[in-house]
Amino acid sequence: MNITEPMFLALTALVDEPRHGYGIVQEVDRLSGGRVQLKIGTLYGVLDRLSAAGLVVLDREEAQRGRLRRYYRLTDDGAEALRAEAARLAATAATATARLRARTAGGAA
Amino acid sequence: MSLLERRYRSVLRLLPASYRAEREEEMVDAFMELSGDVPDEEGPRPRWGEVAGVLALSVRVRLGGAGASSPYVAVGAAVRLLALLGLATQAAFALAGLIQTLPSGLHPVLAGEPGSAQRLAAIAGLGAGACAVAAVVALLRGHVPAAKLLAVAGVAPAAASFVPTWQAGAGALQNVAHLVFAVVPVLALLVGYHGDVTPRRHRWALVLPPLAAGAAVLVTPTLLYAATPASPSWLFLWVHLGSVIPVWAVAALAVLARRSGPAPALALSAAGLLLLMTRLPELRSLPEATLRAMAVAQCALLATLTVALAVAGARALAKARPLPAARP
Repeated sequence: MNITEPMFLALTALVDEPRHGYGIVQEVDRLSGGRVQLKIGTLYGVLDRLSAAGLVVLDREEAQRGRLRRYYRLTDDGAEALRAEAARLAATAATATARLRARTAGGAA
Repeated sequence: MSLLERRYRSVLRLLPASYRAEREEEMVDAFMELSGDVPDEEGPRPRWGEVAGVLALSVRVRLGGAGASSPYVAVGAAVRLLALLGLATQAAFALAGLIQTLPSGLHPVLAGEPGSAQRLAAIAGLGAGACAVAAVVALLRGHVPAAKLLAVAGVAPAAASFVPTWQAGAGALQNVAHLVFAVVPVLALLVGYHGDVTPRRHRWALVLPPLAAGAAVLVTPTLLYAATPASPSWLFLWVHLGSVIPVWAVAALAVLARRSGPAPALALSAAGLLLLMTRLPELRSLPEATLRAMAVAQCALLATLTVALAVAGARALAKARPLPAARP
């Protein structure tokens, strides 16, 4: 499954605790330093895909001011998928950093 | 219920009812938390970006994205099949055009002086044909982003030349019909192959022979007609898009006989409608009674089978039990 950046950030937002829709939007905003601000339509598209793949599941439902609030949590498969994607991104970033370091060293020589 | 909440609920009506039944309440909760309490007196409205997000979700769900109920999964499959059939047809004719130019070399078909608009249009036409062929191959090989780019490039010259032709008023209805016939499969490709679709990568052995066979069946009458100056006049009704009609009719009858499910029936019904749309404007311009009678028979065949396919597709859709949206 191709994990896009919004999916990656939504999975990361659920690592420490279950969150509801707006809670995920807030956490993604914080994690990305304000760079990624999920629209609600986009968020539920992401949740549909993650749910269909078994990476997140419903944790609980609460009633808030007469409206339904659903909390989602990361599954073990979700944690594994996130771990694999994070490792892949870290390896790519490490390669880029090493090449930049070599370029800087080459320029200085 | 506040004015803003009512307006958010109105926006959510863009989504299919089955999806709303599952998601509406929590989506409204998220919207309201995001917006905060805004007094009705301020006339609050959902932002355009939020509306666009819901619209994009709606299109994706209606075309079988994650969370879609089974009828929408079938509609998505039908849209993708229509894209494939339409693009393959265009590719077949583009291939015929390229084949016709090869024996004589490129120079004779490059009309106009070097550097002229006419010459540029001829080159663009050849390039577009090559893109249309490459788009189908890319799609069948599972390279969807490349297929989308190539398909858009393939249809761009036709769309770009439409405006001047339309302004000149020459065969206006026929031009519109042919443009729609070319553009609809590309649009179906763009929206039907969304992010939730896992493209199938067919082996070369399953890509090239069917394409070559389909191209041969569709374009042989066109090539023979072009090569035979003394062809009977009625034959031109069975070349180019006319040669698609018998192939389409056989496929339609097979789908109706086998009750192949909603997607093939709906895709072929839409394809039949597009073919009918290209044929109807020609009825006015046919000079002979025999030709008119034959064209009317073609239209009657197209209309009858298109309606039968639409009915069969709708019945099969109704039988597809509407499942609730994917439970989180």
